[in-house]
Amino acid sequence: MTTALMDERSTGLQVPSTRRPKASRSSETRGAWLLLSPYAVLLLVGGIVPVGYAVKTALEKPPTPLDPSTGFGGVTSFKTVFTDYRFVDTFQNVLATLVIWLPIMMIGIVGLALLIHASPGRFGSAMRFVYYIPGALAGIANFVLWVYLLNPGQSPIEGLWHAIGVDTIKQAVAAPGQLPFVLTAMMFFQGVGSWIVVVNGGLNGIPDEIFEAAALDGANAWQLAWHVKLPIIRPWIGYAALMNLAYGFQLFLEPQLLDQVASNALPDQWTPTQLGYAFAFSNYNFPAAAAMSLILLVITLGIGLLIVFRSGLFGEEDS
Amino acid sequence: MIENWSAGRLARVVSMLFVAAIFLVPIAGFVAMAFRSNDGVEAGSGGFLGLGDIAWSNVRYSWSQVNGFGPEGGLFTRWLTNSLIVAGGGAILAVVAALPAGYAMARLRFRARRAVLLITLVTMVMPNTVLVIPLFLEVNAVGAVGQLWPVALIMGFFPFGVYLSYIHYLTTMPKELVEAARLDGLGEVSVFWWIGLRISKQVVVLVAFFAFVANWTNFFLPLALLSSNQQNQTVSIGLQQLIGASPLFNPTVAAGLDVKLYMPQLALATFISMLPLLAVFLGAQRFLIRGETVGAVKG
Repeated sequence: MTTALMDERSTGLQVPSTRRPKASRSSETRGAWLLLSPYAVLLLVGGIVPVGYAVKTALEKPPTPLDPSTGFGGVTSFKTVFTDYRFVDTFQNVLATLVIWLPIMMIGIVGLALLIHASPGRFGSAMRFVYYIPGALAGIANFVLWVYLLNPGQSPIEGLWHAIGVDTIKQAVAAPGQLPFVLTAMMFFQGVGSWIVVVNGGLNGIPDEIFEAAALDGANAWQLAWHVKLPIIRPWIGYAALMNLAYGFQLFLEPQLLDQVASNALPDQWTPTQLGYAFAFSNYNFPAAAAMSLILLVITLGIGLLIVFRSGLFGEEDS
Repeated sequence: MIENWSAGRLARVVSMLFVAAIFLVPIAGFVAMAFRSNDGVEAGSGGFLGLGDIAWSNVRYSWSQVNGFGPEGGLFTRWLTNSLIVAGGGAILAVVAALPAGYAMARLRFRARRAVLLITLVTMVMPNTVLVIPLFLEVNAVGAVGQLWPVALIMGFFPFGVYLSYIHYLTTMPKELVEAARLDGLGEVSVFWWIGLRISKQVVVLVAFFAFVANWTNFFLPLALLSSNQQNQTVSIGLQQLIGASPLFNPTVAAGLDVKLYMPQLALATFISMLPLLAVFLGAQRFLIRGETVGAVKG
């Protein structure tokens, strides 16, 4: 079974190469734009116009009660964002979470995908399906599930909580330094399964001859996994790592709602996205909110370009 | 099954089953919670995961509480309807836009082709939340905050669907077929319409499925665009309101409400909110098995 990503890799981004007369080329261009037009409209409305408008907004000055006028404000809003007392903290929080979450996530993805690949037949595919199930509980549903697990009052792991001296959900999430671990558990539970499927798809694309050759050389299961399978699926591992890295910068729902169930014991703006949200909806400082989203946009755009050009999954000749 | 169970094999199977249990036990307990009673949960009765506490009468009581929420009640049903409108509308738009675009990028030559493909790939791999505040500013500028249609329209922008369609036409529609159709005198759009669409059932289902799931579970976009209008919220942000109205987490707010939302009610509301996803999954299942592309939709 191959993945779409693999198909892309093998077919690359080649332009069809047959030469055709000029007249039919121009009709081809016209046809292409006609077919692209619905997507182009949505791309404008859902991507390009908002980014352009955010740039414009970020360069305005925010209206204040004393001076309700808006107008060109230069980089004032970026200064507001950079000098906000929460700005550096929010990125530190994301990094603290990533440092714990990303290694665990990657080891989990690769380890479980290798285990599944080493288990051919029904057992392997059944396990792959089971690992995928929590991924279906995306976003808010996963959150409510975790409220159920984290609240010692009715948690199935109540005994565990009491053993470490936690009696309320507030203690469970708001103890100093605890939040990155709680978020790691939540995001691992929700995210690992679908990535196992992706990496497993990469493993399934390895031709059998390679395993036969390794077996002739006397490789055991460990050596096979470590020296043969891992190097071959490196592009998928890199892809998963970068996608999850970018995902870390959009953290919003979990810290925002954990604060709500923990009697506001957490910082209100714990992640950069929460800070941008607060600029827009608590301070009504749209220029600062736009500046904040542009900063995050640049970071995730950088990661996105790395994925497209460097992961090796989307056609090498574009790099 | 007469095979020798080496130590390594035993370790592999045991660790895989252990991880499976870590995933399944909380979910089983959570689903059971939706069928339990407040008294039973309070008393910790029902044994393992509270399975002994399950009863249909509990569901009927919990539903009366969940759907009793709101000034006149019925808000939860309203949220479900709104979610269906925006997630379904967005998925339809995504299919309508993705198929011709994917076909054009796969089989037609034009100057901006590489640029469009690059933009599609990059927007596909970026987390979509980074655009939410700019999108809010855009929708706010046209005065449409709190309305459903901008949300559905924005959800229609689904680059992953374009990418899926692109791959689909690259792999299923040979160049020679397009050439032959042109020689028969068909225009570019007609080739897509009469030939491309005929072989598109698989990709229509895939794009619609992934778009619907992504839209249904989207939290940040509806939160920014619809929070101001309680009647127009989706179920994802509605669940947040239910949590905020629970006496477990916010006794002061909960004291002023007619309905009582404890863990069984919250679990039931979540469980019901997942049923449409289960339905589309079952409907799309036999198409999903053929292409293992699930993970790329993350982020």
